[in-house]
Amino acid sequence: MENVLISGLQQGLIYGFMALGVLLTFCLLGFPDLTVEGTFPLGAAITAKAMVEGGDPLLAVLLGAVAGALAGAATGLMHTRLKVNNILAGILTTSAIYTVMLRSMGRPNTSLLGYEDFYTQVLSLCGIAEGKFSFVATQIAVIVILAVMVVAVRLLLGWFLRTDLGLTIRAAGNNEKMLSALGVDVNQTKMLTLVLANFLVGLSGALACQMQGFADVGMGIGVLVAAIASVILGQMLFGRQSLSRLLTGVLLGSILYRALLALGLRLNLPAEDFKLVTALLVLLALTMPKFQLRKTKKRMFAAKTRRGNNHGEVYLEAGAEHHD
Amino acid sequence: MERYTLKRGRSIMIKLSSVYKVFFPGTPNEILALRNINLHIRPGDFITVIGSNGAGKSTLLKVISGGEMADEGRITIAGKDVTDCPEHQRAADLGRIDQNPLTGTAAEMTIEENLALAYLRGKKRGLGLAVIGNRQKYFREVLAETGLGLEERLQTPVGTLSGGQRQALALVMATLALPKLLLLDEHTAALDPQAARQIMETTARLVQAKSLITLMITHNMEQALSFGNRLMMMHRGRIVLDIAQEEKRQLSVPQLIAKFTAASGSALADDRMLLEKEGFSG
Ligand SMILES: Nc1ncnc2c1ncn2[C@@H]1O[C@H](COP(=O)(O)OP(=O)(O)OP(=O)(O)O)[C@@H](O)[C@H]1O
Ligand SMILES: [Mg+2]
Repeated sequence: MENVLISGLQQGLIYGFMALGVLLTFCLLGFPDLTVEGTFPLGAAITAKAMVEGGDPLLAVLLGAVAGALAGAATGLMHTRLKVNNILAGILTTSAIYTVMLRSMGRPNTSLLGYEDFYTQVLSLCGIAEGKFSFVATQIAVIVILAVMVVAVRLLLGWFLRTDLGLTIRAAGNNEKMLSALGVDVNQTKMLTLVLANFLVGLSGALACQMQGFADVGMGIGVLVAAIASVILGQMLFGRQSLSRLLTGVLLGSILYRALLALGLRLNLPAEDFKLVTALLVLLALTMPKFQLRKTKKRMFAAKTRRGNNHGEVYLEAGAEHHD
Repeated sequence: MERYTLKRGRSIMIKLSSVYKVFFPGTPNEILALRNINLHIRPGDFITVIGSNGAGKSTLLKVISGGEMADEGRITIAGKDVTDCPEHQRAADLGRIDQNPLTGTAAEMTIEENLALAYLRGKKRGLGLAVIGNRQKYFREVLAETGLGLEERLQTPVGTLSGGQRQALALVMATLALPKLLLLDEHTAALDPQAARQIMETTARLVQAKSLITLMITHNMEQALSFGNRLMMMHRGRIVLDIAQEEKRQLSVPQLIAKFTAASGSALADDRMLLEKEGFSG
């Protein structure tokens, strides 16, 4: 049982970075960014490649995150400069990323067996050498490291979204026309958000790769739905009344979701069914009538706040973005 | 306020020269929304604009604000040619409100966050916290001037306010960072008579107190006559009448309608103006 807890916490924290990124684009900016399905394995592939090339684990993780940010920028440029529909832009980037991953790794996967990983490095930096402590104690130390990182990112985001610049992200998700009339280049706001969000997703992929000891081009399949499930779980638990609740809720949602998965595995539930079950649960949550969270969840799929809508209500119209 | 004086000695703040706007050009549906608009707006001007449906009033405001781009002609604001500037680059000089209370504010953000966004209109936005003590104090003060009690609800999400309250907030936001020109597009049209009156009073007060140059579209003839110091009528993309203060002061609504008919060669066709004659709105 303790393995379930350890695995749930570790995975939940690692995927928590990604959930925060998805919260930024889908919920706050109202931009259904499908790039993340590619950014996640890209972060892993780049970190693996950097390790194999003899790079420092810390640097490798950072490179993975930066690669993610670049992928976000690619989607952003396609959408804002070339006026490509937001969903299609994400799909195009994701597709291109496959080539980038295959080219950089030279094959569909890379094992990091025998390399000192990121966690071991940080642990030894903290004076916790490998083998000195029990397995469980070491795993708990890893959890603490991840928790410190996640909480730091959570606090930074919470602060950033309250600054003059950060406010424009939420305003862009609410009312683009107003923001433009207030002198903000909405395209820049979108670029900023996409870069930031995909940096977090790339980081998430890099950390996952370091944890599992390999990168695989297929490891992004289904991660977006899982992140959305985490966001929804977070809002069910914590509500959406304030920004703080949203941010913290997403992290708790991510941990809960991964813990449930770990528990499912532990109970020998068929793992091949998990993605279908997750998809069904997300669908159920999105369509539940008279549910107080309905508005936000729909919002995640809204390409754009429709002109003349009432009280910030948003309609399911992913992909229906117009440029006028 | 910054004023640009031309060599001839008359200061012109906003200038439109031979501005044209065509929708669907080259198709059977081609619409000439603006035809050869020449307009000088001077400091002290509070212009009211009336005209038939589809006359091009909103389009005129949009080509000034950058919501639409002029197809021909030049537009200058305080001496600066802004004809090719996108909307966000002109925003520093312009405050704008339109008819729909939902378009001027961000529903899911609080009153103070909306004000913080408007506070930096046209300025660079950095990493300082948006809502801080001295800004809050200032927001309270300006909100108090609207007399709606909004200053006590700084943390309320704007989506929970009434249409009138949102429009009052939009008005405060449009004037918070002093604009060179205030553009109002029937900004009381969607409100109930009482709220409309209140917003109009606040508008007049703000325009007076901050000496704002204002361009206000209205479909309410009474309003067009009783506010401002200059009245323009548009018809089929043209400015067909431009009446100065002295003459405007002496006009009555029937006289104004007669003038319009004479100038445009057709009756004033505005579906909402008919309602007013029957006393449905105030
Ligand atoms: N975005 C657009 N695309 C196509 N045609 C447009 C567009 N905006 C305005 N028009 C057309 O341009 C003409 C002028 O419209 P505009 O909105 O400026 O009129 P208006 O004087 O504001 O009328 P109203 O009193 O009804 O508000 C109309 O024929 C309108 O159909
Ligand atoms: Mg109009």
